[in-house]
Amino acid sequence: MAYNWNWGVFLQPTATGDDSTYLGWMFYGLKMTIGLSLSAWVIALLLGAVVGVLRTVPNRWLAGIATAYVEVFRNIPLLVQLFLWYFVMPELLPEKLGNAFKQTNPIVQQFLSSMVCLALFTSARVAEQVRSGINSLPPGQKNAGLALGFTLPQTYRHVMLPMAVRLIVPPLTSEFLNIFKNSAVCSTIGLLELAAQGRQLVDYTAQPYESFIAVTVAYLLLNVVVMFGMRWVEAHVRVPGYIGGK
Amino acid sequence: MISMNKVSKHYGSFQVLADCTTEVHKGEVIVVCGPSGSGKSTLIKCVNGLEPFQSGEIIVNGVSVGDPKTNLSKLRSTVGMVFQNFELFPHMRIIDNLAIAQVKVLGRNPEQAREKGLKLLDRVGLRVQAEKYPGQLSGGQQQRVAIARALSMDPICMLFDEPTSALDPEMINEVLDVMTELAQEGMTMMCVTHEMGFARRVANRVIFMDQGRIVEDDSKEAFFGNPRSERAQQFLAKILHH
Repeated sequence: MAYNWNWGVFLQPTATGDDSTYLGWMFYGLKMTIGLSLSAWVIALLLGAVVGVLRTVPNRWLAGIATAYVEVFRNIPLLVQLFLWYFVMPELLPEKLGNAFKQTNPIVQQFLSSMVCLALFTSARVAEQVRSGINSLPPGQKNAGLALGFTLPQTYRHVMLPMAVRLIVPPLTSEFLNIFKNSAVCSTIGLLELAAQGRQLVDYTAQPYESFIAVTVAYLLLNVVVMFGMRWVEAHVRVPGYIGGK
Repeated sequence: MISMNKVSKHYGSFQVLADCTTEVHKGEVIVVCGPSGSGKSTLIKCVNGLEPFQSGEIIVNGVSVGDPKTNLSKLRSTVGMVFQNFELFPHMRIIDNLAIAQVKVLGRNPEQAREKGLKLLDRVGLRVQAEKYPGQLSGGQQQRVAIARALSMDPICMLFDEPTSALDPEMINEVLDVMTELAQEGMTMMCVTHEMGFARRVANRVIFMDQGRIVEDDSKEAFFGNPRSERAQQFLAKILHH
């Protein structure tokens, strides 16, 4: 096979004459991936914590609603959810709001749809972990909180959640890594994130190996950073004398 | 102080408590004993509403526990409880375990709460452990902290749910000593325990339960001297044997 390796391609100005190099395109994609994933992650954590807690409360209605939420968002393929948010949702909004959305900058449209999609999909998975964290606590902990006169919300806030969250840091790390990888799906609606930029590079430079190797390395580096970050978090919330503590 | 009138509880057709009636007066120490599964833990958890019950009535200091209008959190903040497995909050330092409910429930300022916590730790002989975490203490020490934590709320009475059952034998006495001292100071106490030595020393009355029923409710002299029911005689013969 005669393949012409050319790593210098990244430093060439792009063929579209947009005053950027191909490396610049890659960085744009990387920034988009990071911005999208981080914003979706923050929403997913908050929403997931609320839904996960609701799944464990003694109120049957609240727990039922939370269960339905989780089942909907984790049982529809991510790609289908993305299409629903991007193509169908604007049509279902009240006409004025829908039109306003369609008239905004297309990049903003793509970003918002992607963010909501990734956030809700991931929040269902975070919720399951929060629930399992809470359920894995000794049942006496809740009683101990209540017996001191805490209300149920106070018991969650001061007794159960602080321990549950510590227990689920390792599985949350996987979820955090997943959201970066899942964000690649958003290239299908035209969002120019890292994976999409890789494909564009192939189209413009005809150097597929270099392009995809660069994309692969970028994703790997990103996740290594996340992994070390989460390891730091894990070490910092460790409880002395408790499982995993010292 | 605590009065129970025909308290019953069942899970489906399984009767956990059947028509339990008794009374605990101010300053009294009541020991509740009986074979496992007899409902003694359930009974004591009904007193502060940790276990709901279907019929009957429990009045604690003039407040009905079963009444849906009762502010259970407020009631519980006045009733101290100590659990079999200590149930300290593992992510908080010992002193914070003692201070947090004082601050969040009683609205004391953090400085006061800390000071009170240290005083109580002193009392159970653990002041030097104040800055440690529960997981760094032995079982006996943790249970003494748990007693101090309950006392930090200035309870009007204390409930003990098998406080020494999860302890190594050599740690049982340090916990019983704290409880004995508390009893001698006049605290109203209801203790589920198999420590008959403790019952002999400090109890005013002994309640014996079997299959969800209160079978004996007697002064300790009568209970140990001459239990009326055959079931209680068998039970005593078994546990006093060793």
